[in-house]
Amino acid sequence: MSHRVIKSTTVQRRADPHLRTLLVMSGAIAVAMLVAILMILSVGVPVSEALAAFADGAWGSPYAIGASINRSLVFALVGIGFVLANRARLTNVGGEGQIAIGGIAATAMSLYGGCEELPYGLAYIVPILCAALAGGIWGAIPGWLKARLGTNEVISTLLLSFIAVWLLYWCVQSVSLLRQPMTSGGTLPESLTIPDTTQLPLLWSDSGLGIHLGLAITLVLGIVVAVIIQRTRFGFSLRAVGYNPQAARRAGMAITWTMVAALAIAGALGGIAGAIMLQGDQYSLKAGFSSGYGFDGLVVGLLARNSITGVFVAALLFGFMRSGGINMEMVAQVPAALVLVVQAIVILTLAGSAIWLSRKGVKV
Amino acid sequence: MADHQDMPVPALSLQGIDKFFGAFQALSNITLDLLPGEVHCLLGENGAGKSTLCNVIFGVHQPDSGVMFRAGQPYQPLKPHDALTAGIAMVHQHFSLVDNASVLDNLLLGQSQGWINYGQQQQRIKETLQGLGLNLDLQVKVSALSVGERQRVEIVKCLLRNPSVLILDEPTAVLLPAEISALLSVCARVANQGCAVVLVTHKLAEIQRIASRATVLQNGRVVTASTQPAREIDRLVRAMIDRPGQTNVTAPVVGDPQARRYTLSEEVLQLDGVTVRDALGVTRLDNCTMVVNRGEIVAIAGVEGNGQSELGAVLAGMLPVSDGQIYVAGKEVTGASPQQITRSGVGIVPEDRHAVGCITEMSLTENLLLNHMHHYSRYGFLQRRKMRDRAQALITRFDIRAAGIDVPFGGLSGGNQQKAVLARELTLESLVLLVAAQPTRGLDVGAVAAVYRHIQDARDRGVGILLISSELDEVLAVADRVVVFYRGKIMGTSLCGQHDRTAIGAWMAGQAA
Repeated sequence: MSHRVIKSTTVQRRADPHLRTLLVMSGAIAVAMLVAILMILSVGVPVSEALAAFADGAWGSPYAIGASINRSLVFALVGIGFVLANRARLTNVGGEGQIAIGGIAATAMSLYGGCEELPYGLAYIVPILCAALAGGIWGAIPGWLKARLGTNEVISTLLLSFIAVWLLYWCVQSVSLLRQPMTSGGTLPESLTIPDTTQLPLLWSDSGLGIHLGLAITLVLGIVVAVIIQRTRFGFSLRAVGYNPQAARRAGMAITWTMVAALAIAGALGGIAGAIMLQGDQYSLKAGFSSGYGFDGLVVGLLARNSITGVFVAALLFGFMRSGGINMEMVAQVPAALVLVVQAIVILTLAGSAIWLSRKGVKV
Repeated sequence: MADHQDMPVPALSLQGIDKFFGAFQALSNITLDLLPGEVHCLLGENGAGKSTLCNVIFGVHQPDSGVMFRAGQPYQPLKPHDALTAGIAMVHQHFSLVDNASVLDNLLLGQSQGWINYGQQQQRIKETLQGLGLNLDLQVKVSALSVGERQRVEIVKCLLRNPSVLILDEPTAVLLPAEISALLSVCARVANQGCAVVLVTHKLAEIQRIASRATVLQNGRVVTASTQPAREIDRLVRAMIDRPGQTNVTAPVVGDPQARRYTLSEEVLQLDGVTVRDALGVTRLDNCTMVVNRGEIVAIAGVEGNGQSELGAVLAGMLPVSDGQIYVAGKEVTGASPQQITRSGVGIVPEDRHAVGCITEMSLTENLLLNHMHHYSRYGFLQRRKMRDRAQALITRFDIRAAGIDVPFGGLSGGNQQKAVLARELTLESLVLLVAAQPTRGLDVGAVAAVYRHIQDARDRGVGILLISSELDEVLAVADRVVVFYRGKIMGTSLCGQHDRTAIGAWMAGQAA
């Protein structure tokens, strides 16, 4: 009997994707920067001034760096969830809504759930867990609809996202829900500030960075999801169900459960992102709380091309860009719209070069 | 038939074509001429390189070395579009039709730009159809057509481009006998019109009937060619399955039915009045009552579409029964999930390998262990080393040829894919019953023999086998009992050694004996 089993071919492929992801990203950013400079020139703002403002806002001070990283965490959590669901060929575009639901749950628990007095950090852990649960349920619904009724999850996660965002709006408008008591006509439509004990503790609090515990939580969750995807039977089922649900069912895998679980985990990560935003950063729930971060997280997940490392890299990039962009708008009077355009260019060049590289990879 | 005496300019000439996939050489120094007006049969086992060769000609793959000439001009297709422009058309093994669109729209797909003059196009199509003596309803949706009719649409779609080379990749694998006959007539007519027809096939009867020339591939090389294949069938078959260094050639069907021990022992499968009605209320399986014992092969024969697929799906747990009970080794499994059925010791080789039997995007290892995963994980974590060892053992034992244990399953040839599915199902823990539906479909002679060898080994170990097959000759040679289905009903049962072909034929046609 003859066997042509060659072992070496598979080993070579392994190291490739991460390196390539990095290459793609740095190349694309360079191009995007160039375009951005041209655009800044075209609105008549001195480039040096605009870039100085950008750099200042992104990494100009310990506080700026901390703020950028804190922002990245939200993108990363949503992106990690996106990558996990994408293993089962499920596209979770509901990050925005899952953030909102997580924010609502965390606010409710922090303010009215009796968490304030809990010992050992449970005061801030319990609201996070509740946010994960709420986001998980919000994600599980489209999973169930997809598995049982064949509803397209892109549509259902997106629509549920709108519902969640408006639910949040309602919560902060209505005194019987989460709005702070109306003491005067000028009371803003937002919740009370959550108690100190429910706020996430700062890491390296003397450094002035302002980075909160969310960093550790995000890193741990990222590693956990990477392990789930690559090393567990559940990760195996995710891929099998994604590629060929019929064959997966015949092989004894539970299609419904796998789909529901995939989107529920993605939703839970979105919920945690909402909790971290609230408890680490904003401390009160306001209208527009999710600020489009869910969609940025979705793009982070897309750009990461199924790699958790890629998610972290892309999330950091987006975090710093957002911070720098905000400052550029405030200090250098570069119009807000321009910041968005530049962001869009980054996304397009990244995605475009990724496709270009992968095509090239096939031929080489 | 065209006259080849004074060798016309080849419609297509291949010279020294090599093709590598990674370290694996799929084609090696292929030199081949296709002449106008001939039907050129391409033979070979699964994995011999037939499909790769077709894909190189059609521009799907580019050769690593060697040259091609199209009517004397250099021909270097970079994509199928180049091949089509050069007058080379191909009908793939798997159809590429838009189910929801009409036959007419499918035929016009990719052929017209800008405005479509339906009247004019329809006229042109009708003329083509007439020239071939074919009949197709242009307005009906493709989803309403039978497999044979769909294939006719594919062929007409190609012929509308007036190709001078037409490649048919295993076109008869999915057809009923009558449809095969019609297809071969079409091939002959197309060839008569001066087109070079390449027919990839395994079926010797087809070569006998239609081939002007034949070329046999093995391991990516041309091993022999014949200019009068009808007279040299024996030599061609030997060339296909002979392996240098391997003297013991197995015939497609092994074993002497008389010499077999035939023991009636315990029942491993019992169907009791099983009835299936589909969504439209049509009865697909009608009150089937039958038994499979330990250590016997029971075959379900019949013309395709008479309930065999439904029976396979019901036993796999993929289709609920409307009525009746199913017992495996005495335990009821009516309405059980696929997982419960696997746990009760039933191996399933599904009829549609790609849709149900495997996940082509995943690796060979992962496919080999697809339904055993609970043995290869601890606390939910995969045990990679254990998986690798197991896969390696199965690959050796079942002689699966692949470029590595982690190659994508879709890259394996049909025969090796089927061997892998068999390997997985036959090595289930506490296997008592194997349901094999069309296990040899689309496989070459060598792979067919291997499949039956494994099935018979399992039978000899005491596993009950339910073989669902439309290949009557194979069925008669291997089965201990043959049960004939007609419109979902059991028409009759024929015992080994007492097979009466006339009676079986009558049952298959729906006449009670």
